[in-house]
Amino acid sequence: MAIRVQLDRILLERRMSLTELADRVGVTLANLSILKTGKARAVRFTTLDALCRELDCQPGDLLVWEPGPQDPGVEG
Amino acid sequence: MRLPTLKPLGISAPFRSVRMFRTLGPGSVSSLLKIALDVAYVLLMLITGILLLALVAAIFVPLTGPLAGQTYVEGTGDAAREVPITRTLILFGLGATSAYFGGFLLILRNLRQIFRTLTQGDPFRPENVRRLRQIGLTLTVVTAGVAVAQGLIPSIPDPGFSEMLTPIFSVLVVFVLAEVFKEGARLRHEAELTI
Repeated sequence: MAIRVQLDRILLERRMSLTELADRVGVTLANLSILKTGKARAVRFTTLDALCRELDCQPGDLLVWEPGPQDPGVEG
Repeated sequence: MRLPTLKPLGISAPFRSVRMFRTLGPGSVSSLLKIALDVAYVLLMLITGILLLALVAAIFVPLTGPLAGQTYVEGTGDAAREVPITRTLILFGLGATSAYFGGFLLILRNLRQIFRTLTQGDPFRPENVRRLRQIGLTLTVVTAGVAVAQGLIPSIPDPGFSEMLTPIFSVLVVFVLAEVFKEGARLRHEAELTI
């Protein structure tokens, strides 16, 4: 996906572990790693709100767009 | 998937138990359906098994006993004539009936598998799309087979248009449902990857 979530970089800057963030945000660790590895297809505004509050950042700090192949649609 | 709230357990746990209850509670439509499916499956298994045993017996055991030398009346009215009961005729009859019930057995097997995914709380899976399509194909084959068999045997009247309408419609309904499930599976997959 051309959209990347820069959770790694911000967590490093804040010296926070993924487990701690999961605890503070209330999202499961599994879901947070889906977000981190770029497998997620969408982010809820509520999740984004909680992430930004706990990491004290703006959505623009978390999300980056990179030129790349468009994600192929999911075939059920 | 869990909504990001301060007390995720407090919200998601009762929600989950309520959902379980609704899907398969005592006296619910689902539990009645499950009983009906199980009973029909066991009955069909018995019928198909007995028919297959009779078919195997008819292949290996020569035609003797009360049926030997008997005739049956073919056709109606003036066209009626007596035809001797041959081994080929019995084999064809038993084979066709076994295939007929076998088809329904296959459909019921798929239905029970679909139902199992429902009780597990996640029926919108790609496998269920495949199962529904298989049900549709089986219905088509059974319907076509019945039509052909009725054409082959003169003593059974050919099916009229209205008689064929119900099976054709049911095939259509099943294929439409398969497409709906395909879209459901896609939405489900997308929802799973929405964080």
